[in-house]
Amino acid sequence: MSGQTATIGGVRAKREQQAVTTRPVRRRRRLGPGKPIRFGAAIGPVLLLAIWSIGSAAGWLDPRVLSAPWTVVTTTGDLIADGRLQSNLLTSTQRAFVGLGLGILLGTVLALASGLSRIGEAVLDGPIQIKRAIPSLALLPLLILWLGIGETMKITTITLGVFVPIYIHTHNGLRTIDSRYVELAQTVGLSRWTFVRRVVLPGALPGFLLGLRFAVTGAWLSLVVVEQINSTSGIGYMMELARTYGQTDIIIVGLVLYGILGLLSDGAVRLIQRKALSWRRTLAD
Amino acid sequence: MLKNRLAVLAGAAAAITLLAGCGGDAAAGGGPKLALDAALPASVPDGARIVVGDPTTQKALELSGQLGKVTKFVQFANLSGGPQTTEAFRAKALDVGAVAEIPPIHATWTGLNVRIVASKFRQDPLNHPIYELGVAPGVEVKTLADLRGKKVAYSPGQAQGALVLKVLKKAGLTKEDVELVELPSTGDIYPNALAARQVEVAPIGGVAIKRYLSKYGKDGATTIRHGLRDDAAHLYVQTASLEDEGKAAAIRAYVAAWGVAQDWIDKHPKQWIEGYYVKDQGLSQADGEWLVDNAGHPEITADWSAAIERQQETIQLLAKETGNEEIKAADLYDLRFQAVAAEAIKAGAAK
Repeated sequence: MSGQTATIGGVRAKREQQAVTTRPVRRRRRLGPGKPIRFGAAIGPVLLLAIWSIGSAAGWLDPRVLSAPWTVVTTTGDLIADGRLQSNLLTSTQRAFVGLGLGILLGTVLALASGLSRIGEAVLDGPIQIKRAIPSLALLPLLILWLGIGETMKITTITLGVFVPIYIHTHNGLRTIDSRYVELAQTVGLSRWTFVRRVVLPGALPGFLLGLRFAVTGAWLSLVVVEQINSTSGIGYMMELARTYGQTDIIIVGLVLYGILGLLSDGAVRLIQRKALSWRRTLAD
Repeated sequence: MLKNRLAVLAGAAAAITLLAGCGGDAAAGGGPKLALDAALPASVPDGARIVVGDPTTQKALELSGQLGKVTKFVQFANLSGGPQTTEAFRAKALDVGAVAEIPPIHATWTGLNVRIVASKFRQDPLNHPIYELGVAPGVEVKTLADLRGKKVAYSPGQAQGALVLKVLKKAGLTKEDVELVELPSTGDIYPNALAARQVEVAPIGGVAIKRYLSKYGKDGATTIRHGLRDDAAHLYVQTASLEDEGKAAAIRAYVAAWGVAQDWIDKHPKQWIEGYYVKDQGLSQADGEWLVDNAGHPEITADWSAAIERQQETIQLLAKETGNEEIKAADLYDLRFQAVAAEAIKAGAAK
């Protein structure tokens, strides 16, 4: 705290000094990142694609190890013509969304329960941190023992992977709400439910949305794990089948698909972030 | 205040219990009991259901239009092979699994109680092996004796692992004469490990042989034949399923349908390549033709004595190498099923 006042004091002193001196005022150095670049989000992926294309065209990349981008495009075309890609994508998307929906619900409810009550925190927080430290892949054998090999097991695995980031970030966002707002809510005599609706949820929203960014990609990631067991469809299944037959190009189609899906879902969440948090004035704007 | 807290806790607890669904319903038959030496019921009672992990046969039944005959009492699960089926057995989520020679032995060693109820072999098995020994690019292995001092991929508990032990025995080598690299054989791990020269020799099977040679042959990759029988394919079940009268009847009916389906595959290679390899598995027509040619013709006999003898040899070798107790191969087979598949094929041919 005292350090902060000192710097503020320092800045003030500097300004006064500048006001006193008669030299022309130089433009102050910009400390933020500045104006956003147009289509800036696309530059990184496009650069990556360019390096991949050049590497394949020049023959630096062995096609047996990494298929060329155009091979991936033609393979994708073949898979679409077969109808294999669409049907697998549809199955995967359904699984991911059901798991994501359940995970969001569970993560939010648990974050509120453990964020708003000390008992809740004492009971819930520990086990969730333990779950966080356990990889989903390692849990799978147990989940099969408990839930069998059907859809229940698959969706549970995705849900378990998704709720943790939602919980962590929502809980953190909730706990960092400024105590002034809590005091104000108490002063104006809000009921607990109104307090949750008007103060807690909006205050935890930035954290929740950050958790959601982790969760949407996490849902896609869990798919490849669960679709290797007793699945007859899905992107994970398609890739696993291709592994059995050494079809590297189909595996890369799957990887590219995951990349695109992840990028799109992340972009969607960021759009929501921008709209929902328009009241914030931060370094990003 | 406390009431609110308790409500919050109750909500959280409810959310957690929501997640705890129910397990599989296989192997938990509530029907009448059947002794393991009683005659098998000839017809499947209403309401009997089994879960079967045998995707290849499922496809064959579908393509031959026979699927409707079994769907009344069979629910298919898309898993096969030792690791997945034993896991599902333990989860009580499966009654019948399709595997090779080793998994029934391994399942028994790991405390599961299983029985083999159907067996398929290949005619002229030495010229139609399932596996060949892949040799890494730039490594000289022309005969089995050349294996001495080489890095060989070894996966205990899988057919490929037992094959490696058998090959060493045939070559007159011991485990100390080679460097065994423990590596599970799933997906494309073995061909990739060979191509990257992480191992020098590894058993690879099916279309992987063709792909390995076409991809890495120009770098000097080769394969050699091992000259042993590796053609056993079984259906095995949990003994608990056989003790339930309804399930035992359903298993018997499924084994009969399985036999007819294997025969159909043999007699309709064109439809099989088109419907299974190309449409279902996403392979090329050429790959499918190669696989059919290499598989030769199936042999489903009504006499298992020779098969039991071969299995006993395998058990002896594995028990010695892995330090497990030697079990009786005859105990792994349920001889009440010995003639079921062969007779079903005969009856089908007579129609």
